[in-house]
Amino acid sequence: MEMLAKFTHKASDLLVAVSAAGLVLMTAIVGWQVFGRYVLNASPSWSEQASLTLMIWYILFAAAAGVREGFHIRIVTVEQSVPPKLGHLMRVLSNLVVMFCGMAMVIWGGALVSRTWAHTIPSLGIPRGVAYLGLPIAGALIALFAFEHVLTTLQNKPVKTEENT
Amino acid sequence: IDHSHRPLYSADAHPEDYPTVQAVKEMGRLLKERSEGRLSVKIFSGGQLGSERDTLEITSFGGLDMNRVNLAPLNSIAPMTAIPSLPFLFRSTDHLRRSLDGEPGEAILRSLEPHGLIGLCYYDSGERSFYNTKHPIKSPADMKGMKIRVQNSDLYLAMIKALGADPIPMALGDVYQSLVQGVIDGAENNWPSYESGSHYEAAQYYSLSRHVMAPEALLMSKSRWDKLPKSDQAIVRQAAKDSVPYMRELWDERVTGARTRLIEAGVIVNEVDDLAPFIERMRPVWDRFIVTDEQKRLVKMIEDMGDS
Amino acid sequence: MELLFLIAILLVFLALGVPVAFSLLSASLLTFVVMDIPLVVAFQRMSAGMSIFTLMAIPFFIFAGDLMYRAGIAKKLVSVAEAMFGRPRGGLGLVSVGASTLFGAVSGSAVASASAMGSTLIPLMKEKKYDGDYAVNVIVSSSVVGLLIPPSHNMLIYAAAAGTGVSIGDLFLAGIIPGILTAGLLMVVAWLVAVKRGYAKGTFPGWRAFLTAFVVAIPGIFTAVIIMGGILSGIFTATESSAIAVIYTIFIGFFVYRSLGWKSFVETAKQSVKITAMVLLIIGAATSFGYALAILEGPTKLAALITSATDNPLLVLLIVNVILLVLGTFMDMSPLIVITTPIFLPIVMQMGMDPVHFGVVMMLNLGIGLITPPVGSALFVGAAVGKIPVEEAVRTIWPFYGTLIIALLLITYLPQLSMTLPNFFH
Ligand code: NA
Ligand code: NA
Repeated sequence: MEMLAKFTHKASDLLVAVSAAGLVLMTAIVGWQVFGRYVLNASPSWSEQASLTLMIWYILFAAAAGVREGFHIRIVTVEQSVPPKLGHLMRVLSNLVVMFCGMAMVIWGGALVSRTWAHTIPSLGIPRGVAYLGLPIAGALIALFAFEHVLTTLQNKPVKTEENT
Repeated sequence: IDHSHRPLYSADAHPEDYPTVQAVKEMGRLLKERSEGRLSVKIFSGGQLGSERDTLEITSFGGLDMNRVNLAPLNSIAPMTAIPSLPFLFRSTDHLRRSLDGEPGEAILRSLEPHGLIGLCYYDSGERSFYNTKHPIKSPADMKGMKIRVQNSDLYLAMIKALGADPIPMALGDVYQSLVQGVIDGAENNWPSYESGSHYEAAQYYSLSRHVMAPEALLMSKSRWDKLPKSDQAIVRQAAKDSVPYMRELWDERVTGARTRLIEAGVIVNEVDDLAPFIERMRPVWDRFIVTDEQKRLVKMIEDMGDS
Repeated sequence: MELLFLIAILLVFLALGVPVAFSLLSASLLTFVVMDIPLVVAFQRMSAGMSIFTLMAIPFFIFAGDLMYRAGIAKKLVSVAEAMFGRPRGGLGLVSVGASTLFGAVSGSAVASASAMGSTLIPLMKEKKYDGDYAVNVIVSSSVVGLLIPPSHNMLIYAAAAGTGVSIGDLFLAGIIPGILTAGLLMVVAWLVAVKRGYAKGTFPGWRAFLTAFVVAIPGIFTAVIIMGGILSGIFTATESSAIAVIYTIFIGFFVYRSLGWKSFVETAKQSVKITAMVLLIIGAATSFGYALAILEGPTKLAALITSATDNPLLVLLIVNVILLVLGTFMDMSPLIVITTPIFLPIVMQMGMDPVHFGVVMMLNLGIGLITPPVGSALFVGAAVGKIPVEEAVRTIWPFYGTLIIALLLITYLPQLSMTLPNFFH
């Protein structure tokens, strides 16, 4: 259990750091696009597809970290107005739903990758599947993080995150 | 729940009143009639299920039964579809129609099958010409440095670059705004799209280069197709084929109507008298996209059909 | 049947406390299972919904706003704004309505406006002891108004869906007066709520202090010039302007004010991707949900109800508005325009409504949907950048919803508001 927590904490930090790098890179790409159009008088044709592909990746990575850190938007009104025991059960159930979503991302997100691997992204020349590759990767981590929440909720211990360590 | 009797779900990026949507509707009517109600079509128009690239993927997975798309998004899936998109390949609409109805058109549709798609028929997409906010285009020199919007397709990018202009891939929905703001100087499309996207209100020079006549295609997902009995497959194919003349009639009307309305609205139209310098610059573009022997054979066949 | 299933699953999961994005995703996954649609489709739609060029403005504006805050640029701006507009109670609230409307107008996107103006103005309002919920309410409700004021790409979608004969020029003209009217009403209510909550009055610091503050803030003020000027002059698109704003803010933060260091820069980038992810994951999942709703013909079925209900024109208009509001609660704006225009337009035209007028009504109506739960992307962005739970924002947003509804009714039943300008130019 301790080891799992250590691993997920590290993984979640790494995901956020990689995502942040993705955002900075995307800023540079769009900046380059404007520069190319006005200064070089030749718009880079790859910039739009490159930044869109990058965006899917870093959103999914940060979103996975969000499952561990619990920052996703959710409605807690009901959970807070029922008896604590029931609220506890609801937390377990909702984390199970997230876990199943993560598993679905692995299976059918992975299928999406393999079925579009033969298509190419115009102006980049790489397989379309690359754009979707973040789905199974983030999905696996989402499932793992949600599973950790299920375990800790059952044991009545909150997951240690940036905010509450 | 048994879903085998549900209508064929068909996606179209064009709005409800567009000839392609009306033609698929007509095909649905024929299907229903000829199958005694077993087969029918339900159309989701106006891009409500996603862009052409998206619905194309979904159709190839079997998530949608039919899809009407332009050939451009197919270019990155099946290389044979680059052929009818080649700039200045077809000499006239008549040449285009004869080629597509004949062996070259059939061969290209057949090349889609390994990608999970059954090609049913082609619909016209008219002659694409350049329009811009600056001045009439009469020679490639007039296009030098112009920022021209293109579909997200390597073929179109290469074509605009070869003409000395600066190609900018952009979603169709952003074109009007970008023309108004001056982010782009022009774009290229047929008369009806020039009208329906309101692009003429922003870019008033329409130069009849007729550089591309790439058609639209109606596709079916292989997974749904394989579930149909042979006899129903034949009915579907025939109904699609029979919707083509109906579409062409609507299309010609639409083009004439759009042209008349736009000229009345003050659009400045010019013929491009000398196409030779444009065509000359297309050689490397053709060479880049026509590489296999089969592609070369079909291109030659189409060129020969232009002489008759 | 499947339609009810889809919506019931969504509501149950939301109530259970499943994050909004995963509620939407699992509701669509289960519906796809029932409908025998391959599940890859859900993830295709989700990815496509997250990778739209105009959506890139969201992370950029969040990033730029956060950088301005950390680099202390935002603080310099607020002292100028306060000196200029801070004297009446809630003055900063009024400024926010104006700025958010203006930005929404220029960028054409309520979500971009909520992220850009929200991430700069909400921290400022909080600094001046305004409540977080008030700040979020003001920003999100006025971000919607920008949809009415040209340019507006949603109006283009409407024009295309309405078919030939609806001029985009007319639509743009028609939106101007309703837009200004709605912004004015929102200013009144922003002021009333501020007075009721007793937000402090500002004092004018004197010309000398004002000028000093102004000079110090000039590099920061220039950010606004870059964004607004860049878009209006056509140098770049709204998305590009947001990226340039980030680059410019990094530049002045590091080299002009020297208030930004490597460490705070990295922290800001991390914070920004988290907020971006929570918003865009919802937008992606909502795209998948919207696909299921569209395949099930949800909007069409709901619309069939009106034709059977009544033929009193006033009532029909009311019902059309109610249906659009309900649909807007679950689905995003552009697919709804595409789906509902061909259904509703013939009905209202039969009653003598001009398609241009209806376009304006539709913009505001569906715009309100962008700030109502369970699916309201502009509301989510506002709450995220305001760092308060959505529920806290919604609990006190009613005066602002009320105002928008009143504006909607006025615009619906007084065609002159929309049609005067287009008629004048004909
Ligand atoms: Na606008
Ligand atoms: Na909503």
